[in-house]
Amino acid sequence: MAIDRIFKDEASEEKGERARMASFVGAMAIADLVKTTLGPKGMDKILQSTGRGHEVTVTNDGATILKSLHIDNPAAKVLVDISKVQDDEVGDGTTSVVVLAGELLREAEKLVASKIHPMTIIAGFRMAAECARNALVEKVVDNKEDAEKFRSDLMNIARTTLSSKILSQDKEHFAKLAVDAVMRLKGSTNLESVQIIKKPGGSLIDSFLDEGFILDKKIGIGQPKRIENAKILVANTAMDTDKVKIYGARVRVDSMAKVAEIEGAEKEKMKEKVNKIIGHGINCFVNRQLIYNFPEELFADAGILAIEHADFDGIERLALVTGGEIASTFDNPESVKLGHCDLIEEIMIGEDKLIKFSGVAMGQACTIVLRGASHHVLDEAERSLHDALCVLSQTVNDSRVLLGGGWPEMVMAKEVDALARKTPGKKSLAMEAFSRALLAIPTTIADNAGLDSAELISQLRAEHQNEGCTTGIDVISGSVGDMAERGICEAFKVKQAVLLSATEAAEMILRVDEIITCAPRRREDRM
Amino acid sequence: MATIAAPQHRSSKTESYVDNKRKEDVRHANIIAARSVANAVRTSLGPKGMDKMISTSSNEVIITNDGATILNKMKVLQPAAKMLVELSKSQDSAAGDGTTTVVVIAGALLEKCLLLLSHGIHPTVVSDSLHKASVKAVDVLTAMAVPVELSDRDSLVKSASTSLNSKVVSQYSSLLAPLAVDSVLSVVDPAQPEMVDLRDVKIVKKLGGTVDDTELVNGLVFDKKVSHAAGGPTRMENAKIAVIQFQISPPKTDIEQSIVVSDYAQMDRILKEERSYILGMIKKIKATGCNVLLIQKSILRDAVTDLSLHYLAKAKILVIKDVERDEIEFIIKTLNCLPIANIEHFRAEKLGYADLVEEVSLGDGKIVKISGIKDMGKTTTVLVRGSNLLVLDEAERSLHDALCVVRCLVAKRFLIAGGGAPEIELSRQLGAWAKVLHGMEGYCIRAFAEALEVVPYTLAENAGLNPIAIVTELRNRHANGEINTGINVRKGQITNILEENVVQPLLVSTSAITLATECVRMILKIDDIVTVR
Repeated sequence: MAIDRIFKDEASEEKGERARMASFVGAMAIADLVKTTLGPKGMDKILQSTGRGHEVTVTNDGATILKSLHIDNPAAKVLVDISKVQDDEVGDGTTSVVVLAGELLREAEKLVASKIHPMTIIAGFRMAAECARNALVEKVVDNKEDAEKFRSDLMNIARTTLSSKILSQDKEHFAKLAVDAVMRLKGSTNLESVQIIKKPGGSLIDSFLDEGFILDKKIGIGQPKRIENAKILVANTAMDTDKVKIYGARVRVDSMAKVAEIEGAEKEKMKEKVNKIIGHGINCFVNRQLIYNFPEELFADAGILAIEHADFDGIERLALVTGGEIASTFDNPESVKLGHCDLIEEIMIGEDKLIKFSGVAMGQACTIVLRGASHHVLDEAERSLHDALCVLSQTVNDSRVLLGGGWPEMVMAKEVDALARKTPGKKSLAMEAFSRALLAIPTTIADNAGLDSAELISQLRAEHQNEGCTTGIDVISGSVGDMAERGICEAFKVKQAVLLSATEAAEMILRVDEIITCAPRRREDRM
Repeated sequence: MATIAAPQHRSSKTESYVDNKRKEDVRHANIIAARSVANAVRTSLGPKGMDKMISTSSNEVIITNDGATILNKMKVLQPAAKMLVELSKSQDSAAGDGTTTVVVIAGALLEKCLLLLSHGIHPTVVSDSLHKASVKAVDVLTAMAVPVELSDRDSLVKSASTSLNSKVVSQYSSLLAPLAVDSVLSVVDPAQPEMVDLRDVKIVKKLGGTVDDTELVNGLVFDKKVSHAAGGPTRMENAKIAVIQFQISPPKTDIEQSIVVSDYAQMDRILKEERSYILGMIKKIKATGCNVLLIQKSILRDAVTDLSLHYLAKAKILVIKDVERDEIEFIIKTLNCLPIANIEHFRAEKLGYADLVEEVSLGDGKIVKISGIKDMGKTTTVLVRGSNLLVLDEAERSLHDALCVVRCLVAKRFLIAGGGAPEIELSRQLGAWAKVLHGMEGYCIRAFAEALEVVPYTLAENAGLNPIAIVTELRNRHANGEINTGINVRKGQITNILEENVVQPLLVSTSAITLATECVRMILKIDDIVTVR
């Protein structure tokens, strides 16, 4: 047992079978955890924070659930990671990717148990994934040329994505919102210019898309509440006083009059600064920091609309959409880029007053105002909408579209099966396993909806023997149906990412034959 | 051996989630928890509902009948129960009234859902059916509603008094209801007739007197004393009012400063300078003809000193100090003046004018009233009185509810009968609709219809009537086409509730139904509680 001495006291090492077991079990547990959220009839989870305030989040979004979990198992962490990557890359399919990876590992575990070398399994998986991808590429529909068809594709994708979320009841409304917002972007995937504002009250259907930019702030006292043809200066500067920032700096005087003089000088300095700002020929001034009463009054006198305390995110977005730059010195008016917009006005949403900038320089900017019963609903709605926006903006770039409802998985499974039959050697076993794992996705969708999955999947498989079949699971009616007819679509990019990253993750976990846990770092008793 | 135990221990935490029984349990536990929250506020529903006494963590005692307030102070921890609290908050912000109703409806719906789930109906099916039912319910309610004109003051007063009848201050509803109507109507902006910003109605609470003495003030009221130092004036006719945001005190720079005093003569000089500095400021103020000063509170330095108060008193200027910065906007809107942030900008055109500014003794305290304001902005102040703090606070909350009710009517000009009539009618119509539907949906919608009967049931129960007799009779009357019959709690019988002047805004009922269903659907869809960091 001398070998144990290699590691520190509390470090541990797991080898061979045992290590593989640990990673399989961990990964599958994670996959099972999010499995029930898959599909249009998937369930939600409550995430209860153990931190301060015991905050509660209700969500259906795989990435959000996984992101916030406490995880100790290294293999489980890999799955959390791929779901995160999926979220960043394409925004949707975060649950699918984890479920698929989990199923692949479940199948792999059986193969390993029957003494097939992990490397053989990996090789089989690789070939199967390649073959599945090719099968998908062959079946894609690309409607890029036909604007009208393309739009209906987008609508279909948005509806499909949203139908598994909280917005499912109003998916028509939100699909339209999301498509409109993405169409404004004109091909860029920069979702920065789509701003989402959440206001409790009303119901989800009251949410709306507004062109322009909405800032959740107040206009200073006594200043104009409505400005046409606004020239906006966005700034991050202290509008209380310019302090001398040397520690211990102080002035010594010998009379009250001198103090008054200094105070006057400070005021004068502020006034000068305000005058410089006004000298830019602006009629709207947005500052990240506070604007004190004195400069506020000066702005009011000059008829300039001044907004104080706009947050970082707010001013950055504002600068972006109005085409201005954030300024912090005002000595060279010619070098400062001002923002422009046609109209600034105060609007009321619910009980709150907000400031709306319409007709902004960056035409693609828009704001989606979400209304809903509570913060939980709003937060979840925002996540759902964000998913839809991500997928749509990706689809605008890569307009290849597939059918949904388990159709792509069936197509892939069929091709992989065919390949397995042609392939000699043990690899073919791995390919068959791969195809079984693919079938797990439609199975889960059916199971979550409380349908008889065994019956439906076998029906589907029979249908798919015909060339050019378009059937999938129609969860709403609980039967096998034509997906093209029902307009259930998914973006090719999402499916491809799910397939490839799930395979890669499974492969990575399969390769593991030893887990070394390092000794935890001692927390020093400094507290 | 330790190496074997470790992985098992690790995975055991996550493995248990695979168990399907647990999912049922989580849903069950959620529903039970949410329902118990609903039961907690159930007894406070209706005109004969009871109040709750809440002792907060800071040992403060609150007595209230307002669902939103009760739930807000309850500090529940269970996540699903929390969602019900949120629900009542959203009803508060959407409609302002019906915060108890919405929770009670949600509780009843959950109870029915539990039954449906135990029959093996899939939660998503239940959830979808609930949504359908709520959409239909809103249609039914809209069809029942009676349009109302803003000029029809009587109807507005009626609905405000329905809201007030269930509160502690119900005996004053004849006074508070017209007051609420008048104050909301007076702030309606003709340019945007559908928007009412309740921030334009300021409620000032003053201890002493009874709720009877509550009044609508045409002007401004400050719960502050006029500065009495050095015998300044406490009453000013033809007032010229300035709202200042600077301080009348010895100068202070932002950079740290110290005055070096080397001998006695210098000290004397400094004192003299201070005096002349302040005098100079006051002279400038006086020069514009200003005779009333409202001074904003300052945290950096004293807004006024004894010395400056003395000079101001000499100059016959009435001073109200320590005005909060948040209030400034309301004040300038009311007085139609501009705030002045610097002595150099003290000009006559920034002043506001009023006929009278006076200090009035009220109870043991004093308030300042500004009346006869020239070109007054669209704002109103309500002075609420009460014999003790608890009553006072409850009166304010009740008045806020009444204001919200009137606001709802301004936004959506429809009235609907109260007293459980709409709920029974909904229950009847949805029940009939459920019969023509096929499959699970019909079953779920029937459950929805039955759940709505909880409102009249609870109303009757809280009033000490026999709930079963009342609800069945109501059903009967509605089936005979008398759609406006409801429970008349005062008489303890069933009457045409529209004739009894028990009416409420449509918006309150519809938003209660839609919000409650939305919340219940969310709770239904949850199958797991995951602890996260």
